[in-house]
Amino acid sequence: MPEPAVLAEALSKQFGDVVAVDAIDLNIPAASVMALLGPNGAGKTTIVRMLATLCEPTSGTASVCGFDIVREADAVRNAISLTGQFAALEANLTAQENLILMARLRGYRRRAAAQVAEHLIDQLDIAEFKDKLVKSISGGQRRRVDLAASLVVKPKLLVLDEPTTGLDPRSRQAVWSAIRELVTEGVTVLLTTQYLEEADELADQVVVMDHGRAVASGTPPELRAQIGDHRVDVVVADPADVDRVVEALGSRFLLTLDRARRTVSVPAPNEAVELALVAQELKQAVIPVDEISLRRPTLDDAFLALTGEPSTTVVEARDDFAGVPS
Amino acid sequence: MSTVSIGLLPTGIGEPVQATVGRTARYLRETWLLVVRSLRTVPRVPERLSDVTIQPVVFTLLFLYVFGSAIHVPGLSYQNYLVPGLVGQGVAFGVIGAGVATSTDFTSGVIDRFRSLPITRLSVITAQVVGQMLEQILGMMIYIGVGLAAGWRPQFSTAGLAEFIGLVLLGVFAFNWLGVLLGMMVRSSDAMQGIGFALVFPLSFLAGAFVPISGMKAVPRAIGNWDPLSAFVAAMRHICQGTNAQGSWQLEHPIVAMLGWSVILIGVCVPLALRRFRRVESAI
Repeated sequence: MPEPAVLAEALSKQFGDVVAVDAIDLNIPAASVMALLGPNGAGKTTIVRMLATLCEPTSGTASVCGFDIVREADAVRNAISLTGQFAALEANLTAQENLILMARLRGYRRRAAAQVAEHLIDQLDIAEFKDKLVKSISGGQRRRVDLAASLVVKPKLLVLDEPTTGLDPRSRQAVWSAIRELVTEGVTVLLTTQYLEEADELADQVVVMDHGRAVASGTPPELRAQIGDHRVDVVVADPADVDRVVEALGSRFLLTLDRARRTVSVPAPNEAVELALVAQELKQAVIPVDEISLRRPTLDDAFLALTGEPSTTVVEARDDFAGVPS
Repeated sequence: MSTVSIGLLPTGIGEPVQATVGRTARYLRETWLLVVRSLRTVPRVPERLSDVTIQPVVFTLLFLYVFGSAIHVPGLSYQNYLVPGLVGQGVAFGVIGAGVATSTDFTSGVIDRFRSLPITRLSVITAQVVGQMLEQILGMMIYIGVGLAAGWRPQFSTAGLAEFIGLVLLGVFAFNWLGVLLGMMVRSSDAMQGIGFALVFPLSFLAGAFVPISGMKAVPRAIGNWDPLSAFVAAMRHICQGTNAQGSWQLEHPIVAMLGWSVILIGVCVPLALRRFRRVESAI
């Protein structure tokens, strides 16, 4: 069996009294995609930082391509490329200058570095804004440059921390197709995300995290089986009508209520079938409705299904820097 | 030469040279690349240089032509009194420049990226210091240029000139390390700016750069006598104009004192900064 790209055992990290990562096990086979899925503060970024040798675990071990992340940090850095959550580019250099600098730092000579930059500018559609200062390009463009900066050499493991957070759908698709392409070229990808859909689209394996723990893991189909599929949301105009909707639908479906949003949610494994049934029932009961919609399950639904309680969103401190709190 | 890669990844564009060179050569190469990187950004944000360009001009002209008319220093023209003093206290302003640049880099995530690269980590911090030193040296040259144009006449031998340059570089180096250390500890560049000014401004005014310490009231005089910057100011004046100051041991032996303060700063800040840099971690 080939060596896994990442192997972690009981990996833990504590900041003072806060357990940011609590005994996480990971096994990422080479040339596959692993997604860490969870809300802010779940510990995803801390795992990424430990694997990228930016901070050391409090306990437990991990190796990247067979190299220990603490004892053989240099070898690990050789094997990985990190694209952090906050675009780590020099804002006062152009996109092209940033790429050339990264290629030079990776050891290319001047000419080769320019060619590498040129190639990536071409492949990731950067040409249009390659001569603009990074501080003056859009978030989506910056992500592309950031990704390109991680690809000046072929990494064995590409680590992407929330690669599409805050991107418009088109930019998101572009990042997704780049990731798929990289996997076919033999790169292993570890990505973190808050979007169930993203994990579902890209990952071979998903670890769902909350409060530093893995609350579930498996392939997307396995998780989907646990989470359930699509849902139909019914939003009523009058809060009092929520109970009437429950009365009309309660005998046929397992409902979830959100009274604050005047919403009743119905599982819809057969998508349009349930949508039609719900609409019919509401019509018969003559309940005025603001909105009926069919949607994919969200991270919140997943947490509800997997843990029986909603995800707790903690505000994660910007942990790209550094100082120890006094 | 055309590239032969077909995929997304650049392949067939020659191999990185990294593996073929020794550790020291790599360190020097990486430091150089990172210094060039920070110098390249200078023309894009020229205002960032204002502390080493506009400030020296303003200080020199303000004190020579506005306050200078009311200040009389026995035995010296005010130009000859002021300019060496400005150079002496000016080295300390490197704290602000180096600190702000460091905290900006550390909060932007760009340092994280460098730290995750297979490059010598020492090169990242060396480049920070070297880049800032070059900026500070520019500031010193502006002090000297404006001073000379305004009538400053230093009287030193070639050996004195060498001593002058050596001490200025040492002082700039020492205060830059203090700035890098503080920059890593402070979480925002605005805070760094504030702390830097709060630290450097009073000390530079008490250091006798603008008015003689001996004429100050008792409390500021006592502080001024032992203000480390006073040693820098007195040392510069001693080398450039041959003057001797009184009031405390360090003022009577300014060159030894300036060397001592610089060595202490370097001895404390360099190991602390390196340690801090190695274990910079996130804190949730």
